[in-house]
Amino acid sequence: MGDALDKIKGFWRSQVYDEENWATNAKLLRAVGLFAGSIILMRNFGDLMAI
Amino acid sequence: MATHIPPPEPEKVDYMDLPCPIPYEEIHREAFMSLKPEHFEGLRFDFTKGLNQKFSLSHSIVMGPTEVPSQSAETIKIPTANYEFGANFIDPKVMLFGRILTDGRLSARVKCDLSENLTLKANAQLTNEPHMSHGMFNFDYKGTDYRTQFQLGNGGLLGANYIQSVTPHLSLGGEVFWAGQHRKSGLGYAARYNTDKMVASGQIASTGMVALSYVQKVSEKVSLATDMMYNYMSRDVTASVGYDYILRQCRLRGKIDSNGCTSAFLEERLNMGLNFILSAEIDHKKKDYKFGFGLTVGE
Repeated sequence: MGDALDKIKGFWRSQVYDEENWATNAKLLRAVGLFAGSIILMRNFGDLMAI
Repeated sequence: MATHIPPPEPEKVDYMDLPCPIPYEEIHREAFMSLKPEHFEGLRFDFTKGLNQKFSLSHSIVMGPTEVPSQSAETIKIPTANYEFGANFIDPKVMLFGRILTDGRLSARVKCDLSENLTLKANAQLTNEPHMSHGMFNFDYKGTDYRTQFQLGNGGLLGANYIQSVTPHLSLGGEVFWAGQHRKSGLGYAARYNTDKMVASGQIASTGMVALSYVQKVSEKVSLATDMMYNYMSRDVTASVGYDYILRQCRLRGKIDSNGCTSAFLEERLNMGLNFILSAEIDHKKKDYKFGFGLTVGE
């Protein structure tokens, strides 16, 4: 259990605190956020754009 | 006295009578049409003259900077001017398109209905530069609730894809290809779900590409679309969101993407057969600004 937790912590540190990895991950998060956020806004408020 | 109205019964699906799905390569068709208009920079003038009901000629002039691939982060542009002559033959069974540019590049497309369900498509791009010419044959078969395609291209390129309607709204497909020259093969899967109000599609390929798209049909005139392209080999990702307004006198499309690039494309019908086009693309990150204007004469 302790080993598994250490592995997860190590993975988290390598993805968030490593500069290069974080640059790529931030770009991925921004793109996924834009995509998912757009879908939510479109489905709920899309009718406001109708003419 | 209030009468009890029974709830509407859910429609029974006849799985032996499903609609024919759209072709595999057009799985992201709605998102592509809304989010990827043909942006250009500089001047563009197109003139199409119909000689009779089936045959027409086209003349096209493009003057403006063309981007040249460079090693550095800076964009290098070279001013170019091109004249393109084209001929089109359109018949219910056969369609032929040919284009030739002043630099010697020739492109040709053929679409022929061999039978009610079998279609042959061929396209070729020929250039003066060695090893830069391409040709491809496609055989498309349309079944009752499926479509299949077989591709044969130069350089030993072989490909096949298949798409099947699984429910009245959902279709699933797969593709496989073999590039003989590079000794590479690939596999891909795609899914598409569509209703009257929305279309959602996804595609994944062993080349590392993941493409997702979603289009909301707000009304007959307005669509909102979003897409995301991710390459898990190169860890490169781009998402964009945009709108598409199709009005009586004009069509306006605009989008913004996750790389800080905004663009818009306007086609305005000034008169019968006369269209005015404006294109704009602003990349804030690279400080690259592209503006284009043009006129299209003829249908």
